[in-house]
Amino acid sequence: METSTIAPNTRQVRVPKNYETTAWKWMRYSALLLIPLAWIHVILQDVIVGVHRIDLNYVALRWANVGWRIYDIALVAFAFAHGMNGLRQILAEYFPSPKARQTLGWILLALWFVITAIGVVAVVGGVRMPKQ
Amino acid sequence: MQITVKIYRHIPGVDTQPRYDEYTLDVDPKERILDLLENIKGFKDGTLAFRRSCAHGVCGSDAMRINGRNRLACKVLVQDLDTDQIVIEPIIGLDVIKDLIVDMDPFFEQYRSVLPYLINDDPLPADGKERLQSQEQRARFDDTTKCILCAACTTACPPFWANRKYVGPAAIVNAHRFIFDSRDHGAEQRLSRLSEPDGVWRCRTVFNCTEACPREIKITQAIAEVKEVLASGKINYKGVQIGPERVGSG
Repeated sequence: METSTIAPNTRQVRVPKNYETTAWKWMRYSALLLIPLAWIHVILQDVIVGVHRIDLNYVALRWANVGWRIYDIALVAFAFAHGMNGLRQILAEYFPSPKARQTLGWILLALWFVITAIGVVAVVGGVRMPKQ
Repeated sequence: MQITVKIYRHIPGVDTQPRYDEYTLDVDPKERILDLLENIKGFKDGTLAFRRSCAHGVCGSDAMRINGRNRLACKVLVQDLDTDQIVIEPIIGLDVIKDLIVDMDPFFEQYRSVLPYLINDDPLPADGKERLQSQEQRARFDDTTKCILCAACTTACPPFWANRKYVGPAAIVNAHRFIFDSRDHGAEQRLSRLSEPDGVWRCRTVFNCTEACPREIKITQAIAEVKEVLASGKINYKGVQIGPERVGSG
């Protein structure tokens, strides 16, 4: 015979795995990563070095270290992906049809890819100093 | 004191455009906005239409925009507004039927979509015929039991203004009330609805809902807790009991 007992304090439930849930998680994880990425960038470029002292020599010096190149690619990729996902969220309010939202998602993904690719090409290509 | 009350007037299909009618009233600062509306309807203009029922902040019938903010007309005193110019408009995001009365059907459709009732198909315990719950477990969803379905939150929500398919804060609050009830087994069905593209993810944490709620429910927090369950798949039923323990409890 079943007796009255208090149910446990936690329960695991099956939750649907879908695009919106993944996009929401992505927004949080990328934001967490952007906190150190963006702050280190701002403190180094704007406070320690100062924008007026950034020139080709400085960039060449910085990109001589492959770690900074990876850092800069990560910054452009994650910052832009985070922003594109936010834009997708806002635009979804103006495009209620699933088809329009899907098309919009692909356009924003393509835009992210193009901008990130330009950034990667610039970083990988490095600095070519003008001939004296 | 003498005040001016401007009221939104519109009968779709009859009036070509909405208009604002102005009434000048002598009132006591302790009168409620609902009293002003009753005064106008009873003595100045019997054609004015608005909903009211209990008039004591429990039934949730008289939600309206009072000086730009969603409020219950029966819970706002003239002196609370700190002005002698009062503008009263219908809540936005739902179609106006007449003057301050809106069509609540889309709102209740979203409410019904989250299955706002206890779901538990397990057989009743034979001894006590009661599904027991600790005081901490009851406290977990206490805040969201306070909803009176006035729609002040949902119609204060910008994502809902833009997209009426969005489930809206009130429906999420009522889903929260059952998802976090340890006796309920319907969480997966509700979470399935809430994970849809127009489910809980459309919330952008604007906090308008929390500000508008006449019952002071922490709506944005409740929405965040539902999102957390969707992200983790884990429901924590243990809440924090607020207030003194029941007398005689051992």
